[in-house]
Amino acid sequence: MLDSASSSRPLLLLMAAILCGLAACAGVRPEDKEHLAEPAMSYGDEGMSEQHEQHVLDNREGSTGGGDTRGGGCGCN
Amino acid sequence: MQLTKLCLLTVVTLLMLLAAADGAFAQANMSAGTSLFREQGGPLHMDVIMPSVNAAVDVAEPLQLRVGWMADIVSGASVAVVDAPADSVDAITTATVSDTRHQLSGGLTLRDTQGSVDVTYNHAFENDYRSHNFAVTARTDLWDRNTGFEIGYSRAFDRVCDVAGTFEPVEKPRLDSSKGCFSDAQTRSARELAIHTLQAGFTQVWTPVFTTRIGVLAQLLHGFQVNPYRAVRIGKTAAQEHAPNDRARYALSASGRFWLVPLRAALGLEARAYRDSWGITSFSGELSYDQRLFGDVRLRLRLRYYAQGRAAFYSDDYMLAPKGRYFTGDRELSAMRSALFGLAFRWQLPTDESGHLLGFLSSFALVLKGDLLRSFFDEFHYDRAEVPNTLAQLLSLELRATM
Repeated sequence: MLDSASSSRPLLLLMAAILCGLAACAGVRPEDKEHLAEPAMSYGDEGMSEQHEQHVLDNREGSTGGGDTRGGGCGCN
Repeated sequence: MQLTKLCLLTVVTLLMLLAAADGAFAQANMSAGTSLFREQGGPLHMDVIMPSVNAAVDVAEPLQLRVGWMADIVSGASVAVVDAPADSVDAITTATVSDTRHQLSGGLTLRDTQGSVDVTYNHAFENDYRSHNFAVTARTDLWDRNTGFEIGYSRAFDRVCDVAGTFEPVEKPRLDSSKGCFSDAQTRSARELAIHTLQAGFTQVWTPVFTTRIGVLAQLLHGFQVNPYRAVRIGKTAAQEHAPNDRARYALSASGRFWLVPLRAALGLEARAYRDSWGITSFSGELSYDQRLFGDVRLRLRLRYYAQGRAAFYSDDYMLAPKGRYFTGDRELSAMRSALFGLAFRWQLPTDESGHLLGFLSSFALVLKGDLLRSFFDEFHYDRAEVPNTLAQLLSLELRATM
């Protein structure tokens, strides 16, 4: 298990480096962001109703996480 | 009475924040709304009303203050002893559930042109549960704001009411009510639960119409993690369910949004994988379509499918097929699937020539949202009876204002 994790680490680092490199090259200029400014295109702008839905799903499923990083949660599941 | 006091406290705090905002000519955001959750079937039903109020005020150039309140007002009937003899749905024995959970939150955000730091504190309480949660989140934007990184850590200090005394797990009785919880009552005790959550996100704009986000979560829980009211029949008698004290949970999600220029609509796709040390693995996929209808009126359709495997110690019948030292009656720890269909309507009211509404609002939006959630429990039964309450509805109304 340890060997497997050690051998996959360089690959993960390489993938992260490639991703960051691609990200830096993807230069969308501010004047081209008209469509990206649409509320439907932004992440983390879902509001209260989405928080309530996530609260329900956390209580009705055996898993959690992967969404917005803000807030935290009280562990009231 | 407690609810009234909390509402008053929240309203007074919000008014103070708004007054501060007015004095400093700063921007203030406020949202208020409520959600109604209903799940019913046979003798089981659960109704939850979730009102909430949130406000955020820019008190100075880099500093924003936030305050909020939300509640879960719960009433219903749930199963007290899982796998008690029941040939049909009507024979399932139920216990009445009635409680109100309040959550107060406060925090501040420091930000500049390249990033922000949020610090948040939540306190939640109900008759049988107490929670204090501290969260810190940092975010930065790079390369013309085309790339965003964020990382957050939260630590929760929770306490759960339980029966007092030392028992062998197979002899431990369930908690019969919340009466006496968090008091000097000799029959009650408080069990600790510590939760560490680390989350990170990477958002990337690739083209003028395409953006993606990757999110990861790692969470460690240590302490009491069962429903103290639920017992499981494990022989001639029933005992309070018994689960490991430690749980490590990991999730990875990837999502993309694509703007369809001719249709003036956004297409969204999200996938999430999850695994934890109790043996549960899950996957969810979501497809959304957000259409701008006319002006600032939007309609959003959403489909979500979820599937998970069972926990390593889950069994549908612990008398016939025990799974080691642990036993649970939690249907969410069995192999299950669910499908969600959601519809949301958002209306951003137009402003006048000066950019205002009613002379003092710079924006006002109304959000109306409805979800249908159908769950499928292929291997969970109440003795020989199928799970009756598998259809749930969630209806939300939210008002958002900026001044």
